Amino acid sequence: MSELDAALTVFAQEAEELLTDMEDALLSLETKPDDSETINSLFRAMHTIKGSSGLFGFSAVVGFTHEAESVLDKVRNGERSIDAELISVLLDSKDHTAKLIEHCLTQQEAPIPASLAAESERLIRQLTGRQTTDLQQSDDSVQLEIEGGGEISVDDNWLISLEFQKDAFRNGMDPLSFIRYLRTLGEIKQILTMAPELPAGDDMDPENCYLHFKIAFQSDANKQTIEAVFDFASDDCDIKILPPNSKFEEYVNLLNAQDDNHVKRLGDMLVQVGALTQNDVDHALQSQQAIVESENQGPSKPLGEILVERHVVQQPLVDQALKKQEQTKQKLASEANYIRVDATKLGHLINLVGELVISSAAMNLIVERHGLSDAGDVAASMNALVSSIRDTALELRMVQIGETFSRFKRVVRDVSKELNKDIELYISGGETELDKTVVEKINDPLTHLIRNALDHGIESPAQRLAVGKPAQGTVQLNAYHESGHIVIQIADDGAGLNSEKILDKALANGLVKPDHDLSQQDIHNLIFAAGLSTKDQATNLSGRGVGMDVVKKNIEALRGSVEIDSIEGEGTTISIRLPLTLAIIDGFMVGTGQDRYIIPLSMVDECIEMNANECEIDEIQHYINLRGQVLPYLRLGDYFHNQIADTHRKRESVVVVKSGQTKAGFVVDELHGEHQTVIKPLGKVFERLNGITGATVLGDGNVALILDVQGLIQAAIKNKSRPAPFLTSQRIQ
Amino acid sequence: MSNLIRRETSHVVAVQEQVGQYLTFLVGTESFAVSILDVKEIIEIANVTRVPLTPDYIHGVINLRGSVVPVIDLSARLSRHCSEVSKRSCIVLVAVETGEGSQLIGMLVDEVREILEIPPANIQPAPDFGTDIRTDFIQAMARVDDVFIILLAISRVLSLDELSLLSDLAQSQEHLVAASD
Repeated sequence: MSELDAALTVFAQEAEELLTDMEDALLSLETKPDDSETINSLFRAMHTIKGSSGLFGFSAVVGFTHEAESVLDKVRNGERSIDAELISVLLDSKDHTAKLIEHCLTQQEAPIPASLAAESERLIRQLTGRQTTDLQQSDDSVQLEIEGGGEISVDDNWLISLEFQKDAFRNGMDPLSFIRYLRTLGEIKQILTMAPELPAGDDMDPENCYLHFKIAFQSDANKQTIEAVFDFASDDCDIKILPPNSKFEEYVNLLNAQDDNHVKRLGDMLVQVGALTQNDVDHALQSQQAIVESENQGPSKPLGEILVERHVVQQPLVDQALKKQEQTKQKLASEANYIRVDATKLGHLINLVGELVISSAAMNLIVERHGLSDAGDVAASMNALVSSIRDTALELRMVQIGETFSRFKRVVRDVSKELNKDIELYISGGETELDKTVVEKINDPLTHLIRNALDHGIESPAQRLAVGKPAQGTVQLNAYHESGHIVIQIADDGAGLNSEKILDKALANGLVKPDHDLSQQDIHNLIFAAGLSTKDQATNLSGRGVGMDVVKKNIEALRGSVEIDSIEGEGTTISIRLPLTLAIIDGFMVGTGQDRYIIPLSMVDECIEMNANECEIDEIQHYINLRGQVLPYLRLGDYFHNQIADTHRKRESVVVVKSGQTKAGFVVDELHGEHQTVIKPLGKVFERLNGITGATVLGDGNVALILDVQGLIQAAIKNKSRPAPFLTSQRIQ
Repeated sequence: MSNLIRRETSHVVAVQEQVGQYLTFLVGTESFAVSILDVKEIIEIANVTRVPLTPDYIHGVINLRGSVVPVIDLSARLSRHCSEVSKRSCIVLVAVETGEGSQLIGMLVDEVREILEIPPANIQPAPDFGTDIRTDFIQAMARVDDVFIILLAISRVLSLDELSLLSDLAQSQEHLVAASD
């Protein structure tokens, strides 16, 4: 990758982020149109994209963003109010900018196609068209208070103050000639001659120069040029040049436009925009130094203050420059807190940490086997380090889900407009973190579920009013952590699922037998069945179920699960439960026979002895009375391998696992304890396997399988509810 | 099918001057062969972890230098009895193409024999009948010293789609039994 390509990648990334921010900002403006910080961020987004596009010569992008920027600038200055219409146009502009950038990035050489150009023009017209009506000329331009120049009218003039020293004449200086020369650069509007130090009578030395001049000077020349006029006199004359007010705004703009890649000194910033000359700064610094020396110690006066005192620059400009300096500092500070890292490097690091975890497990095993007690301490402390390295490495990949959530604001806005529905999206729990690889894969299922909620869940405003609901429908996106998992909920207050219709369809499809004993929940879950998702049937079913099997499959591929909870007429809540990471987990190792399995530790509630007195075991019904609670259980060995029951089992244990609100017990022969588990994919062959989600390599080099707790709990519950389960009957045979 | 052979052999031709090399092995008492180009590695049988709720032909998974690799019991896959693991049992590792790159799969065989060079002239298309193996598993028949050896079509025998589908079926069958019980 050449340097330019690398720079382009950064540009593309940056532009994408900025545009995403811009979208967020626009959407939040819909509710809070007066938030000046948001408007500023909009302006900055367009401004930065314009600037960076300029660097790469993407003139189409520059041209378009420039228009958007100027409109936003007006909004920022309060010259134009922001309303729903403007926000819509700006949202379109944002999309259009993204298209333009994409075009520039992919086909750098090709000219902008006519369709894009036409769209640009249309949007620019929309953006600027209303300007004439809405625009209020800002008459109240910044009024500046000029100290010391009171006697001279300062309207838009340079203010030059010349204080000649007494030796000026002796050194061959003629003030008049300088003033004459000055006139070649512009027009002297007014000149004030002062002689404040002129002594009375005989004390006056005619060879001394007592004259001070204040000149109001009109010129287009810049400060450096004007100062150059007095270059020769600079030793014998104290020259102060104060820029005119009109220049002030120019300076401020220049200041704002200064690139903020590194913090500059105040003087340098002002010199760079032309408000000061290097001489001004040098003199000010000298006097600052002098003050420090004369007062011996104590904090020196800030340079800005000295400059203002010396009347070479206006106070507001100094303030502005200081503000800018502060902003730059902050920006750099916040940039320094983040490092962009290639995701593949991070992935590689996490793989290595995984191998480290496995090797350290192997070492522990050897230490234990050989009874090396002194090595044991070292191994234990290394183990602690390895597990904290593991946690830190995994944390690196954790991102907040908020960004993914806020993308749906746009989806909700667009879709609800399209459907003529009034729908508000509420987001909570955006700060919940999960693995980036999971975030990427959850986007599509989420989009699907939200579209479903908007399209089929929420009724039209008329229908809503008819059943006594507010016309505005709400969709809530919520996320929170629960026992090593993240739960994402999509809740709507729409019509809910119509169980009868679903059941009718399922019966017609042969998915359910007529003599079913399905609970309400089972019927709702039918919408995830593949058979109910073909288009034809789905339209009859008000569309619900299109691709829901795909949603479920995608989520299950992430070792997650999806639950549906719906009350007819009141709404539907869909909860997605996902593991926080796909790489390494804390596991709990158990054994049945010679097989060993890993249960995610976060899902283990407690371990009890199978034959303990406090629980009653029902061998036929397959449940345990656990302190008054009914706990369905599953003999893992039997369930997995149909082993014929061993009449004299060893002491068995029950591992009580929970997933959400449901609990179940797994009966196992041995408890091996905690185990840092590096999840290895089982590959395509086993992708449809129930009960197992992955595998891991143990310290001794063997493979252990990771249990799908959620799926097994369901199996255990089914086992309990059926009076004569398959496995029991086998054992009886 | 004949297309397949031509492509396969022409591939070999380029490398081996018209003579293909084939790895022969025993499943039960029968000899089979696969193109040496498909074989990545042959390893001794190590600790295999069995995977529950899978059909017989899934022998289990092994740890191959840190990654988990499935092992197929070739005997069961070819509709014979499950292999008895003996001292001579080996795992032949082959790479199978998937949509997202290739995946290693192990084949449990009863004994690895030798590598044979078989000229294309001795390779004949599979017969339509006369074998008890699914015809699409047979890529061709090779005549070696007047004995026919079946050249296996690895992409069919170890078809990932089919393997994962069948494990699905096996489960639903089990559940059907459970329901009817």
